[in-house]
Amino acid sequence: MNWDWLLLPTIGAGRMSHPGLPPGWVMLVLAAMSCMVAWAIWIPVRAGHPHSSRSLVHLPVIGPAVRKMLSLPWLVLALRIAVAAIFLLTIYAGLFGTPLPERNLATMLTWTLWWSGLIGAIFFVGSAWCAICPWNALATWLVRRRLWRRGSETSSLGLRVPKVLRSVWPALILFVGLSWFELGYGVTVSPYATALLALLLVVLATISLAVFERRAFCRYFCPVGRTIGFYAELSPVALRPVDPDVCARCTTLECYHGTAEVEPCPTHQVMGSMKQNTYCISCDACSRSCPHQNVAWRLRSVGQEIIQAAHPRWDEAWFILGLLALTSFHGTTMLPVWEHWMSVLAQRIGDSGQLLWSFSITMGVSLLVPVALFALLALLTQRLMAKQPEYRRVFSALALATLPLAFVYHLSHNLSHLVRESRGMTEVMLNPLGINAQPLTCNQAEARHMLTALQQDTIFALQAGLLLFGFWMAVRILRHRVTSIAPQGQAAAGWHILPMLSFIVAITLYNLWLLMQPMTMRM
Amino acid sequence: MLMVLPAHAHHILGKPAYNSGKENSSTPPSMQMETQIGDYLVNFMVFPAFPKPGVQGRLHLYAARLDNGLSYQGKVTFKVRDDRWFAPDAEVLGTHEIDDKVYRQGVVFSKEGDYIVTAEFQADGQPYIIDLPLRVGEPAGMMPIGVAAGAIVLVLLGVSTAQRRRLMRLKAVRHHEAARSET
Repeated sequence: MNWDWLLLPTIGAGRMSHPGLPPGWVMLVLAAMSCMVAWAIWIPVRAGHPHSSRSLVHLPVIGPAVRKMLSLPWLVLALRIAVAAIFLLTIYAGLFGTPLPERNLATMLTWTLWWSGLIGAIFFVGSAWCAICPWNALATWLVRRRLWRRGSETSSLGLRVPKVLRSVWPALILFVGLSWFELGYGVTVSPYATALLALLLVVLATISLAVFERRAFCRYFCPVGRTIGFYAELSPVALRPVDPDVCARCTTLECYHGTAEVEPCPTHQVMGSMKQNTYCISCDACSRSCPHQNVAWRLRSVGQEIIQAAHPRWDEAWFILGLLALTSFHGTTMLPVWEHWMSVLAQRIGDSGQLLWSFSITMGVSLLVPVALFALLALLTQRLMAKQPEYRRVFSALALATLPLAFVYHLSHNLSHLVRESRGMTEVMLNPLGINAQPLTCNQAEARHMLTALQQDTIFALQAGLLLFGFWMAVRILRHRVTSIAPQGQAAAGWHILPMLSFIVAITLYNLWLLMQPMTMRM
Repeated sequence: MLMVLPAHAHHILGKPAYNSGKENSSTPPSMQMETQIGDYLVNFMVFPAFPKPGVQGRLHLYAARLDNGLSYQGKVTFKVRDDRWFAPDAEVLGTHEIDDKVYRQGVVFSKEGDYIVTAEFQADGQPYIIDLPLRVGEPAGMMPIGVAAGAIVLVLLGVSTAQRRRLMRLKAVRHHEAARSET
């Protein structure tokens, strides 16, 4: 069978591109998806589906080591100091190093290693990155003037965040802005702009900490932190009570209020009633302040939280949909034909050479289309139910089902960047400022992108597997979520899920098609 | 700023050498970018590799078709713009015809800074744009760090002053209440 008609012509590719997913893998994914769709429609949802979870401290071999680690505050502090030092070096390299992105530590470390690797790390360690985040660490040291103990109450104005900002809308707006800078303005290929962005985020985190109570930046404003938070709902690890009954009996709530030595929870979480990972930044303040040592990492089945416990609010649902639209848009901009499309649009509207208007218009449309389609199909789902639940409730609950789709595409896409573009990392580490460095030649770039740490077939297998896993998770979540919003006694399987199932299929097929295309490398 | 300079290159394996291999060569090495774009393999070079303000430099462009190796024969426009956020539009340096398989443009940068030099041409109805980031002179100063540090210090000073006033007001209220309760 000829699959060439599915591949776009590679017009105007100014940079290297690598081949997309081969037809064999695509066939496999499509066959598995068909089976899952049939299963989702014909097999009813089992009520009270049990899920197991176990605290890591109860595991036979690693349990004592985990408990020991949790009691060592200097371990996290040492990591914070190391990451902050690397971060400062990155800013220095961006400001004073070579403007060639593939030779400068700022662009290579930030966009190739960190941003690509971070999404993968969330699956294994949840929101652990936030615990060692350099923006937060530098802001804390500057404002509290303490390395790790609880700072003085007077070091911050401690104002409450205005009600209008107490949501994830600010983080979503910043995330869209960050994506515009990344893809439209080309921050990823400018070490100087990368350094400025890093400085800007430190300034924002510091101002927020100095003015507002606790860590308002992490809770409401940080686009990276909120992305991690939502994706961490799918992670099989999370900080949770070792024994929930201990928390249920607790009246002092040190995890929330802190102690004389330990900061209170920076994002206003009470460990005993925490059901979602969304706002936990894994800072370990709760595990250090708990007088019963009742907080530790817990292993659970993948997606357990999102199937059973998560109850997203209206603004959180919009953030999840924003993530979904942005991740697919991200992949679209790396099609070799993208620059041609931009060029055609720019000529039509008389845009300047930087194509900022053309990009902004396309980005706006690309974000609106999937969200509008989702909103319409959520409305259809609501109308299909005999006793119609409130639309906002349907919209918010169903948005959860799209989270795995965003996560797996983000992972598959970043996997390519990580294994193909990080080849020159050793050279960059040895010469972080890229002194006297030359741009990569075509042969060097080709070698960097093709001689990857993983075999090409392994990359394809991982991408296909991830996409399938995300689809399976999305379908499972959808079935449970439709059941949870359906009025009492109403069956929720079958045709009730059809509108949203078609949305999940459509997004997965689009993402699969994106993975089939040759992808333009950034550096 | 605009002038075309003759360059006397010989070619080794299709690439100019400019005597840079010789011990006493006064010709500085070049910054060279090689890229495939559309139907062409393009080689964009800047002499010297790390130009200084006020020093004569040159831009050279070689564009050959990927399928048959024939050089592009149309006109090439060279432009330059500041490599910073929301910079003004690019300045056109000049438009040139091919000269011994090479498009040449002389250039003098008057100020230090980060620039993007661009070569543009049209082939088969498609625009071809090749950007090369270039630093002229020393790296940018400490201004961004200074601005960031200044903003942070200002906010921390403001917070500190506000907190001191709040504490003093609190102290005065307590003192007032204590005095009232004594009387």
